Amino acid sequence: MGRPEKAESLKKSLDDNIQHVKETLGNSNDIVIREIRIGKEQEIKAGVFYTDGLADAKTIQSYVMESLMLDIRETDMEEKLSRNPLIHLKESVLTIGSLQDVSDFDAFFSSLLSGDTLILVDGFNQGFALSTAGWEDRGVQEPTSQTVVRGPREGFSENLRTNTALIRRKIKDPNLWMETKVVGRVTKTNVSMMYMNGIVNDKVVEEVRTRLDRIDIDGILESGYIEELIQDETYTPFPTVYNTERPDVIAAGLLEGRVAILVDGTPFVLLVPALFTQYFQSAEDYYQRSDFGLLRMLRYLALFIGLLGPSLYIAITTFHQEMFPTSLLISLAAQREGVPFPAFVEALMMEVTFEILREAGVRMPRAVGQAVSIVGALVIGQAAVEAGIVSAAMVIVVSITAIANFSVPAFNMGISIRISRFALMGLAASFGLFGITVGLIAFVLHLCSLRSFGVPYMAPMAPFVLADQKDTIFRLPQWALFSRPRLISQKNVIREQNPPTTKPSLRKGDSQ
Amino acid sequence: MLLCILIVVLVISTGCWNRRELNELAIIMAFGLDKAGEQFVVTAQVVNPGQVAAKEGGGGRSPVVTFQKRGDTIHEAIRKITTVSPRKLYGAHVRMVVIGEDLAKEGFGEALDLLSRDAEIRTDFFIVVAKEEKAEDVLHVLTTLEQIPANKMYSSLEASANAWAPSATVTLDQLLSDLVSKGKHPVLTGIQVKGDSETGGRKENVETIDSPVRLQYSGLAVFKKDQLAGWLNEKESKGYNYIRDQVQSTVDDVICPQRGKLALEVIRSKTEIKGKVVNGRPQIVIDVRTEENISDVECSIDLTRNETIQELEKLGEQSIKDIIATSVHKVQKKYKVDIFGFGEVIRRSNPQYWKKVENNWDQEFADLSVQVKVDVKIRRIGSAGNSILNELKE
Repeated sequence: MGRPEKAESLKKSLDDNIQHVKETLGNSNDIVIREIRIGKEQEIKAGVFYTDGLADAKTIQSYVMESLMLDIRETDMEEKLSRNPLIHLKESVLTIGSLQDVSDFDAFFSSLLSGDTLILVDGFNQGFALSTAGWEDRGVQEPTSQTVVRGPREGFSENLRTNTALIRRKIKDPNLWMETKVVGRVTKTNVSMMYMNGIVNDKVVEEVRTRLDRIDIDGILESGYIEELIQDETYTPFPTVYNTERPDVIAAGLLEGRVAILVDGTPFVLLVPALFTQYFQSAEDYYQRSDFGLLRMLRYLALFIGLLGPSLYIAITTFHQEMFPTSLLISLAAQREGVPFPAFVEALMMEVTFEILREAGVRMPRAVGQAVSIVGALVIGQAAVEAGIVSAAMVIVVSITAIANFSVPAFNMGISIRISRFALMGLAASFGLFGITVGLIAFVLHLCSLRSFGVPYMAPMAPFVLADQKDTIFRLPQWALFSRPRLISQKNVIREQNPPTTKPSLRKGDSQ
Repeated sequence: MLLCILIVVLVISTGCWNRRELNELAIIMAFGLDKAGEQFVVTAQVVNPGQVAAKEGGGGRSPVVTFQKRGDTIHEAIRKITTVSPRKLYGAHVRMVVIGEDLAKEGFGEALDLLSRDAEIRTDFFIVVAKEEKAEDVLHVLTTLEQIPANKMYSSLEASANAWAPSATVTLDQLLSDLVSKGKHPVLTGIQVKGDSETGGRKENVETIDSPVRLQYSGLAVFKKDQLAGWLNEKESKGYNYIRDQVQSTVDDVICPQRGKLALEVIRSKTEIKGKVVNGRPQIVIDVRTEENISDVECSIDLTRNETIQELEKLGEQSIKDIIATSVHKVQKKYKVDIFGFGEVIRRSNPQYWKKVENNWDQEFADLSVQVKVDVKIRRIGSAGNSILNELKE
């Protein structure tokens, strides 16, 4: 279905209109078309259109049909109605909140297919769209991808309106602005940008706007489509657009001056600009006392283990055996007695097996999930070692790497680390520690070259911003988080002004 | 795309050039160096990982194997070992280098170059001399507790140097700097095989409570440059370590005023050597300060009195003085080589004088006047008061 060159306007005759709608929609039987007559003499012919399932039948019944067919009878409205039905219907009859004029078929169909109820009156080439959208959805549930022990349990749902409401409920400020666009020629998906006016960097908003406008695609089925179409850099393993299911994370991002992009039909909301450090922060870092923020360091450690674990093992066991303590070397050598493959192949086998298991675990129906873990534990853990195909130490290395990888809070960053790990393993196998070092330098260079909507990806570490170190590798107490991240936006940087909490001083007369 | 191909080619064509899997390595734990005629005999003690690692043990095989080859140079001999060893030797984890007595007498200087030049070999191993043995015999002894004899030698040397004093942990760097220094001759610890070295290499040796064959450190070997000059006994070795400030902790015996003995545990010891030239004659003053605990009272004595403690301090001082004096005397009179580094002390305190004597320092050393000052402080008497012997006697 291509977009018509120029929107075809509605016709005067109701019958013609009905005919056109039926033809265009191929007589789809979920489109309900009711022809009714309004007025004292039943002289006004009108048509009511809606899509069954998308429009809320109850609303239509009580606020549209009843108003039109029953409530106005025997009132003086009927008189006026017969003279100028359109205006009177709009102004005095229809007891429904939101109403829009519709004059062409383009608007007609997009309203109809979004769940609106449309009313056309015979003899007029105009009508109204009444927002009666209401369909079954999942409702607000606990987010499954980013869980916390302490913190709000609500997560975004598939309904755009619910999602914007969830954010509005957190930030009740007139400066929380929203712009909605329709993206996707066929799917006509609603995409909303939300930002805090006065905090956000206007250039970033403008950039997001232009990038969204640039999108020309038939369908948007998930925010991932948008992410890939607006991200800064495609040829990188690292994500430059953050996504989350949690309204509190989005609210926090908005308060830091970021822009949220909500896409209808998915609970995953995008947040830009996204920085590298953001992927190692969890919402809970801010909800527990600040010493909990020290756990962030653990996540950075996990990053390095997840990235370097197998490659360091390969490099040291095949090139730099002198680096091991003697007794460790002997015990590793003993484990490797009789292992037929070089350490690299061994590591590669284990890593690939593990990745397959993990992939299977994610895609499998829940009911068979247990079978996977049993097979996995037996195959990876025990049988492979007992059969002498891999050494026990390698199993330990692979497991630690895997667990370290899981402790990175953002799933998409975890994927980046997984991919990079294999590259480093190859380098380690061919050049030893030199290869790893060169690989790491290349990674750092690459990371420093990335930008997310104009903001350096490695900020606040490169470029180094001292003030932002308060919430980078660790988190200082709330009262010390006085300013917003410097590079996200330069407007309205002061966030809070609290003195450090103190003990109440001893007053005179107080006894100890 | 071109870049990708280039990277792949680069990795494939240049990588892996000295890659060695762990199970392709013969990890050498100890080297033994001997001389046979004009040739070197190199014995390498190689670990058998499968036997050492706990779980898979019990195969009834020896935890280590030795390979031996002779060659005109050390390196030639080591490489020749590949004709008998299934794997290439790997020397980064060498713990001990044992020099046979014959080689030591002839001079081991030539043997050290490879050890310091080869990039693979770390220089943190200890060097010892086989006393009245060939190095290979020392490496042919299986040990209990530590499965790998080289490890046994290493940790036993460290432990005895730390807790008992008459051995010296000499690493390659130290040995080389002693060799080239004009004011100090090297000293190495001697190791002996107690028992019949034939049975030492058999499994039976480690299957009994009381191993018939053992390795034992016994005293220090005195070198004149790289040639073995003679041996110091245990007491003299301890004296050497007192002078060199290498005593961490040890036990000194003292004869009680009445009868019996008493042991003093040295818990801290600090030695300073000062040198000066008086009337054209060099003089050395050795100042030892130790802190000691009374650790073992085997005589009846009243420890509760302050005077007793002072008396014991005097006795302790005398005892250490004796130890040091004996040691100095023997080296001066018998070997006439300055192993104590007195020459270095003189060089530092009076460089002009040193210039004059440096070339015949060893003669000067023989009649050097050495004064010993010892200061002993007794800190604690242990967790008991007077010995029960006091009451036994009554």
